[in-house]
Amino acid sequence: MATTVSTKSVDLSTIFPDAVIADERKGYTGWLVEKDNLIEIATYVREELDYDLLSSVTGVDYLPEEKMEVVYQVYKTTGGPGLFFKVQIPREDPMEIPSVINIWPGADLQEREIWDLYGIKFPGHPDLRRILTWEGFEGHPMRKDWQEPFYEEETKPFKSRWPKGEHIHAEEINPYHDNLKFPPKFNPENWTPTDPEEALYTSLKKFTTKNEDGLEAEQIIVNMGPQHPSTHGVFRAVVVLDGEKVVSLKPVMGYLHRNHEKIGERNTYLHNMPYTDRLDYFNSMANNWAYALAVEKLMGIEVTERSEYIRVIMSELTRIQNHLVWVGIFLNDLGAVVTPLLYAFEERELILDIFEEVSGARMMCNYYRFGGVVRDMPVRAFEKLKQLVYDRLPGKIEEFERLLSENEILLSRVKGIGYLSAKDAIATSMTGPMLRASGVPYDIRRAEPYGIYDRFDFDVVTRPECDLYARYHVRIEEMHQSLRILEQAVSTIPEGPILPKKPVYQVRVPAGEAYGRIESPKGELGFYVISNGKPNPWRYHVRAPSFINITALEKMCVGEKIADFVAILGAIDIVLGELDR
Amino acid sequence: MDWTLWLELVIKALVLIFALLGGFAYLTWYERRLLARFQSRLGPNRAGPFGLLQPIADAVKLIFKEELTPAKAYKLVFFLAPIMTLVPSVIIAAVIPWGPPFQLGDRIVTQSIADINVGVLFLMSIASIAVYGIVLAGWSSNNKYAMLGGLRSAAQMISYELTLGLAFVVAILLGNSMNLTDIVEAQRDGRWFVLVQPVGALILWIATLAEVNRHPFDMPEAEQELTAGYHTEYSGMKFALFFMAEYQKMIVVSAILATLFFGGYLGPWVDRWPLLGPVYMFLKIVILLFIMIWVRATWPRIRYDRLMAFGWKVLLPLALAVVMITAVGILLAEINPWMIWLIPIFSLIAGAFASLMIDRSLRRKAYA
Amino acid sequence: MTILFLIIAIVILASAVMVVTTRNLVHAALWLIVSLFGVAVLFAMLNAGFLAVVQVVVYIGAIAILFIFAVMLTRREMRGHGKPLNNNWWISALLSLLTFGGLAMLLSNWDGFSQTPADFPSDFDGVAELGNALIDPNQFVLPFEVASILLVAALVGAVYIASNRK
Repeated sequence: MATTVSTKSVDLSTIFPDAVIADERKGYTGWLVEKDNLIEIATYVREELDYDLLSSVTGVDYLPEEKMEVVYQVYKTTGGPGLFFKVQIPREDPMEIPSVINIWPGADLQEREIWDLYGIKFPGHPDLRRILTWEGFEGHPMRKDWQEPFYEEETKPFKSRWPKGEHIHAEEINPYHDNLKFPPKFNPENWTPTDPEEALYTSLKKFTTKNEDGLEAEQIIVNMGPQHPSTHGVFRAVVVLDGEKVVSLKPVMGYLHRNHEKIGERNTYLHNMPYTDRLDYFNSMANNWAYALAVEKLMGIEVTERSEYIRVIMSELTRIQNHLVWVGIFLNDLGAVVTPLLYAFEERELILDIFEEVSGARMMCNYYRFGGVVRDMPVRAFEKLKQLVYDRLPGKIEEFERLLSENEILLSRVKGIGYLSAKDAIATSMTGPMLRASGVPYDIRRAEPYGIYDRFDFDVVTRPECDLYARYHVRIEEMHQSLRILEQAVSTIPEGPILPKKPVYQVRVPAGEAYGRIESPKGELGFYVISNGKPNPWRYHVRAPSFINITALEKMCVGEKIADFVAILGAIDIVLGELDR
Repeated sequence: MDWTLWLELVIKALVLIFALLGGFAYLTWYERRLLARFQSRLGPNRAGPFGLLQPIADAVKLIFKEELTPAKAYKLVFFLAPIMTLVPSVIIAAVIPWGPPFQLGDRIVTQSIADINVGVLFLMSIASIAVYGIVLAGWSSNNKYAMLGGLRSAAQMISYELTLGLAFVVAILLGNSMNLTDIVEAQRDGRWFVLVQPVGALILWIATLAEVNRHPFDMPEAEQELTAGYHTEYSGMKFALFFMAEYQKMIVVSAILATLFFGGYLGPWVDRWPLLGPVYMFLKIVILLFIMIWVRATWPRIRYDRLMAFGWKVLLPLALAVVMITAVGILLAEINPWMIWLIPIFSLIAGAFASLMIDRSLRRKAYA
Repeated sequence: MTILFLIIAIVILASAVMVVTTRNLVHAALWLIVSLFGVAVLFAMLNAGFLAVVQVVVYIGAIAILFIFAVMLTRREMRGHGKPLNNNWWISALLSLLTFGGLAMLLSNWDGFSQTPADFPSDFDGVAELGNALIDPNQFVLPFEVASILLVAALVGAVYIASNRK
């Protein structure tokens, strides 16, 4: 599988001969765009070439070349390969690149993330605050010259950890005072924290003194989270309420931020595989695949036939258990205490049993390898799988559907709530069931098939209603479609090797860039990996569906009731491990 | 007033209070076990046989928990609120007749603490002051979740009190008295009011669910939105008091419902052995509680504005119609006793009409 | 009985004074409830059980809770600032004194004022009597219906004001 060469089919450099040149670096594709012409070119790409879905925006720090780069990956919702274009700027403050938020509103949170992690400013962005770290954070951690406390070496494995074959804790060789860098003119003795929330509340202030009908009603700001039972973790939303009505909302995140990407750049390629499990801990089988896909593209290796089937089976099982639990948690959010959730868990346990038999772990599977999977599926697991796919799950999913789908209370809580039109959904870069519930038949398994999805017969589920009801039904219907795929895969899976060659600890990855993306149960999960030929990735970016789907949260919530906020947030299906990274 | 009367009152009051306390403790056990069965799990089964000692373990835990008072709370009100919530839930039980009077030595002992002639109104008045504890708890915590919880409960309880009152009126009309014992006695020979006026019983049941903030009307403490609502800031025994009040209210409203519509203490041989009365009450209460828990295990929660709309636009008009139908039916029954069965027919028609209207409004609202 | 009456009267008056002097509006509302509750007890002592219960239902259960509701919604006034009395307090004090004096004078001229009421017969049903009196054409049906119409008018007006004219 070669890198996406076909992006050359659109020749930007002939349309904009002065401003665009092809990216000729070895292993790279796409176009290098002049900073000053970015808006013009982006508008052209959006309006004339119809690349309406901004999949990912990310920064790359080329420290040796003294350059900073921002990579835009855009796709068409009608399918087909994507278009990559990049803006390079000299690596000296202040770094500024015009914001594309007016062309693709989905750039909102991603540009904030780049500002936070790389320190590149986006003039034109209305609310450019830090997003994953807090406002008082010193430095921009994804820059290659930023070093964390207890910093040891640029890349793993650290030599210090195994001096004579014995493990030593980093803290023992790096006493606290020894290895902390303070910002210039910083004195920890008389430092008083500035209020990191000030910028946030300022951005909300314009709503709190609004007048309506000549009556001055006081609006209150409620912090939903970070410790709140319905935010699915340490997510926080600052909500301005007029009575029970949501007037404005700002998501606040990063409480679980551990700079996954920086750690990923320190790790070797294989090190990262178990690490992707921790992103969306419900769907480790899907995360593995997306990462494996990106690295396989870089390495240019083929996946063995049997492994392709196993990958499809595992990924579809993951989708079923994710959607099952989603339906359970969603109904829980709507107040149907925990009964549906526990019904969902009953089936999920059986699926996790299979995961356990093939990989040894129920949730953190770490099952995929470059070119295949780590070990073959045992016969017993295959028998269980067949029993599950043919006998148990179809009936159970139907039963689950019957449980509450026609309940009046449920209907009154989901119909017409959290409306997001197809146009807005595409503009805000929604993907996955969220996008399909707005009536856009966009499924990467069909739009740009990966693995062997082009061999299977299944429908891309869409609903026209654009509300919570549609999101509920899309997921239930997708479980049926997954079962269809599973039935085909189980009946046609061939025998054969699972890895193309003997597994090695250190894989050799040629220099270049690759973007691997899959249809994870939550949306488009992409890994953007840049290699410079060394054992560690130079850049390891996660295009997390939970994170980007949050972009439309405010749009969906404004005008609805506070109780609906909980349901709308639940319907996005976020996982904090992936959202905060 | 001789001293034996005082003694009788004190003993009866003590028995009632301890019954309610024990009932509360074992209601939590009952609910947890039942919920567990609904959810295909086991529930508490470690402490004692069938987990029967679990309530005691819980009580010990709650007593030894630290009690926190928020720094910016209004201390006095914060302290008083749990008490103000608990007290009404106990005294409301005072007028409920638990069985027919029986002979003890040479005195007639009634099986209720106060057999007053405006018993139903007493229920109303206590129900209406029960909201104070919740509102004040929400306000005094100085916490926005608690505040919203308190406000919600105030609005909700005031709204559903009207319906509750009208449902009481149905029972008063049928029983031709405000005295609860008279109402029970009017249901002799199996003529339970639930058969005469099923819609009235249903309305009363829904309204009491809303009054005691049970699912699907548990807005004030909607966990998914407001963490724990009005008692977010409470811990330890103060929290336990709220908890206790909620479960005692569940018991008491079930008792009221049983008394007004399900024949109260009446049952076979209750006249021969008056002490069977409390047993029948107990059984009826347990069955009604089972339904409450069943609802909790299966239904989603109604959204707050829909809850208010349901209360004002559906339940209240329906209750008014039911009162009308009942009154006319009773007048007609004076002409011909069989006319009394026009009441259930017409009120069921009214109920069907109401649910049709809900259905239509749902369809209309969906994609307006 | 007289002692009980005196205690309750003192409680009612003292809490009424607290209502107008306390600075915290929620506390004022709570004192008001104490005062109203005292009145309910007085009704009960006069064998007017029905009135006592209605007093609790209507005044404590509905009106006072609406006060608290309103106070809670206007958060800024929760902790009162400044004095609860304004410059016109003496006018209202004068007015209430005059009203009290007038009532006292009128009542002292009424000869029923100093008589001890006769006990009720044992089968007397006050509630039924009251109900019949309210719908008896010879007694209070007209005031009753007029009050009903007034309340309905107020209800319609409230709905009209609150409704969104959109």
